[in-house]
Amino acid sequence: MREIYLSGYNNFVLPFMFGMIFVLSWCVIGALRIIIQLPGEDRKKFFLSLINPKIMARNVRDWFCDCLFHVKLWKRNKLLGYMHSSIAFGWFMIIVIGHIEVFLYTPQRVHQIWYPIFFRYFVAVTESTMKGSFFFFLMDFFLLVVLSGIILAIIKRVRSRLFGMRRTTRASITDLIGLYSLWSIFPLRLLAEGFTADISGGSFLTISLNNVLHSFLSDQMNMLPTWWAYSIALGIFMCILPFSRYMHIPAEILLIPMRNAGIKVTHARKGIAKLQVHSCPGCGVCIDACPMSAVKANIKDTTVYLNRQIKRYNESRIEEISDKCLLCGKCTAVCPVGVEGDKMRIAQRSIRKYNLAPSYANIDENLLIERCNKFASASNKNVSSGNNQKVIYFAGCMTALTPAISRSTTSILRKAGISYEIMDKDGGICCGRPMMMAGRLAQAEEMIAKNTAIIKASGADILLLSCPICYKIFKEKYDLEGIEIVHHTEYFDRLINEGRLSVNEGSQRYVYHDPCELGRGCGIYDQPRNVVKAMGELVEAGKSGKESICCGGSLGSLTLSFDRRKALTENALNNLTIASPDTIITACPLCRSTFNRYADRPVRDIAEMLDEATMKRKR
Amino acid sequence: MKEIVVIIGGGIAGLEAATQLLKLGHSPIIVEKSERLGGHVADWNRLFPDLTPAKDIVEELIASSKDANIFLKTEISFINRLKDSYNVMLSNGISISTRYILYTTGFKLFDAQKKEEYGYGIYNQVITNADLEQWFNTGKDKRISGKEISKIGFVHCVGSRDEKARNSQCSKVCCITAIKQAIEMKEKFPDAEIYCFYMDLRLFGKKFEDFYIKAQRDYGIHFIRGRVSEVSENIDGRVIVKAEDTLAGKPLKVTLDLLVLMSGMVCNPESTKAASMLSLPIDSDGFLQSCDNVFHITSSPRKGVYYAGACTGPKTVPETLAEARSAVLEIHSDITNQKK
Repeated sequence: MREIYLSGYNNFVLPFMFGMIFVLSWCVIGALRIIIQLPGEDRKKFFLSLINPKIMARNVRDWFCDCLFHVKLWKRNKLLGYMHSSIAFGWFMIIVIGHIEVFLYTPQRVHQIWYPIFFRYFVAVTESTMKGSFFFFLMDFFLLVVLSGIILAIIKRVRSRLFGMRRTTRASITDLIGLYSLWSIFPLRLLAEGFTADISGGSFLTISLNNVLHSFLSDQMNMLPTWWAYSIALGIFMCILPFSRYMHIPAEILLIPMRNAGIKVTHARKGIAKLQVHSCPGCGVCIDACPMSAVKANIKDTTVYLNRQIKRYNESRIEEISDKCLLCGKCTAVCPVGVEGDKMRIAQRSIRKYNLAPSYANIDENLLIERCNKFASASNKNVSSGNNQKVIYFAGCMTALTPAISRSTTSILRKAGISYEIMDKDGGICCGRPMMMAGRLAQAEEMIAKNTAIIKASGADILLLSCPICYKIFKEKYDLEGIEIVHHTEYFDRLINEGRLSVNEGSQRYVYHDPCELGRGCGIYDQPRNVVKAMGELVEAGKSGKESICCGGSLGSLTLSFDRRKALTENALNNLTIASPDTIITACPLCRSTFNRYADRPVRDIAEMLDEATMKRKR
Repeated sequence: MKEIVVIIGGGIAGLEAATQLLKLGHSPIIVEKSERLGGHVADWNRLFPDLTPAKDIVEELIASSKDANIFLKTEISFINRLKDSYNVMLSNGISISTRYILYTTGFKLFDAQKKEEYGYGIYNQVITNADLEQWFNTGKDKRISGKEISKIGFVHCVGSRDEKARNSQCSKVCCITAIKQAIEMKEKFPDAEIYCFYMDLRLFGKKFEDFYIKAQRDYGIHFIRGRVSEVSENIDGRVIVKAEDTLAGKPLKVTLDLLVLMSGMVCNPESTKAASMLSLPIDSDGFLQSCDNVFHITSSPRKGVYYAGACTGPKTVPETLAEARSAVLEIHSDITNQKK
């Protein structure tokens, strides 16, 4: 390639350069601030992760899969995935190949940042390009890929349903400026390169355009304005980027290594939480996912809008959105970039100042320790020793309100010949999860400490829970070394597999509802289904597993009133009854009570069903 | 010519309306889906506040309305709206052409199993107000007869004033019914301690307050303000009730031999079904919606369609009877106006 201009500079690069310097300095300062805001321990963890080859390899994989290929969106909808990855990957390749061209053909210009972007303006074609058959072809090819993505983006603005999205985010004014400047960058680039295609070379796209629009493009008067327009579009996009949803492009690059380093949200607005807010691409996948979206008025309370309000420092709305959420975690499960909507809300709740704080200091755990230490006292002859497991069963508050569940559970334990003790038969201490959800972590810790003492003193090997709300906090926050924590669905599955229970298979059709805290919260999906399959035919709901819809009764919401939950429950029930099951089975006492209020068919806990379907073990 | 009036429901409202229509020279037809007349009152033993035997009232009403056309075990298949009358098709194949339909479809007793935390249907020693009345009538209930009963509890507002149970309305009669049943139980078990757990006591009717004072003063029944939070069972089958005494500000735990749940009045799905045949409006509480709640309680927005009794909301027996008469008067004056 031969250079045309000695200076390698034209004034039209100024808008681009201005935008570039602005956005780069913004991102560098922002990244430093976020790293400084991290708690010391997390910061150390982050730096250490960067020299850990295993984590680095995962980072590289995630950068490619998430930032460029948008693998999660592909899984959701092919068209949506193609749209995003074509723009992201296509643009990335144009930048990369642009730089390779400069390196190969004009290595003396490498230090001029604008040179790869406006390469074709400054050079003329020679034989060295093999008539543009390789790099020029690639450049045109990826430009075409990006353009196809942009055409799809335009279609999506009008018909989002084609892309598997019922509802999309309402763009803010800065988002719109960013959007339109982004859309205009690539057609302008095509046009600008079309001008110079006869001098600086091109490939199938640019040369053809040069031929087709010859009368316009051969007029040199039009050339400079087009390159200016291209540069201005780039400049506007980069200047608006920090204030629009496109901030997700640089933010996600930092979020991925931080996530892989295992850094958790601790402060609602600082460190990784701030990074997550800026990583939100505003795609709106969480809007369709949110169970509250069943009522149109709640759409503005989804995670994408929470992020927007946090960016705007709209405190009253931030509080409102944070308190309203059911904390079902579905937005986190579907988010393509990994914004943890539920954790951010809990963190937000935890920074609120209360005038009153309940204290549990006056609860005497020693009484409960005495009552539950059946296995600890060696003199107790009633406890059969040997390989028999010693189970302590914590029914929890919700199960106390649904006594049929605890009754069936203990009945099953007796049938299986398990020696057990009920921890909260005559009143117990709350597991702490409701306080945790309300953001009152100190209160939760108090209860955790007391319960830990009781369980450890019991001498049991297994802590059995029938409420997923309890189960999640026991798994995550309790330190019960040596004691296995199991949910009754897991335990029943195990008992059936071990042959301790014989189940009569019936001919009924069942649908299984994944409770939020058990499924998304703890990843238990298969065990309950195995148990259901042993009892009869299992059919699936419209959305199940990771995308199961919250029953609407969740303790997570602090402000959603009773009557406003009805529509959410009915929506969840419609989803469950798609395959017209005879009975809805769930594994959470709260889901069961909530569904029972509005369901047109029986809603039972898995323990109740199993108790009916099992006979006493033959000895 | 005698004017035909179709009365849907053979409870006390329907029977009283038929009696009055007969007196005024009209020809009432009662359509009752069950096999006997008298509705819920026929299941009751004695009525507050004078402890009048329910049987006497029902028998008197049946006797006075015996000249009406009565179809038992019959339902309404459909109702057609004609120009200025209705064509009512019954499940037994009979079709009636009439200008007047009176809904006396009544209420349904709240299914206490839905308040699972109270343990009805799970624990043996938990019964409802209706079960207790049945025991008063028949003396047959394993849960009460032949047991040593020294402590009894009554839970007010079961399924009433409770959004979680989908019923926000007050059932009106349970406060006084609980007091009545508590007194009756005290008479049967003089040594028993009796507790009533209430939110607040709504003793609006004539002599209700006297009855309440009598229960405290003469019978020593304990009234505890506070809702029951949960009920569990101990090893010997007695029930443990946890509640909060909101006057003392303390949590409370008592072990009882019998727990009686005061199931409230909720809308009758049969009533809703019959109303939908004429697209009559349903109120937010699920009961039928009157034209207004002050002046035209017995009128529906449709011409010739009237309401009486608990189909429009919880009512006491005297209120129901009064409404039945009032509805008949409305119908009668409409008939005489038409003839002029």
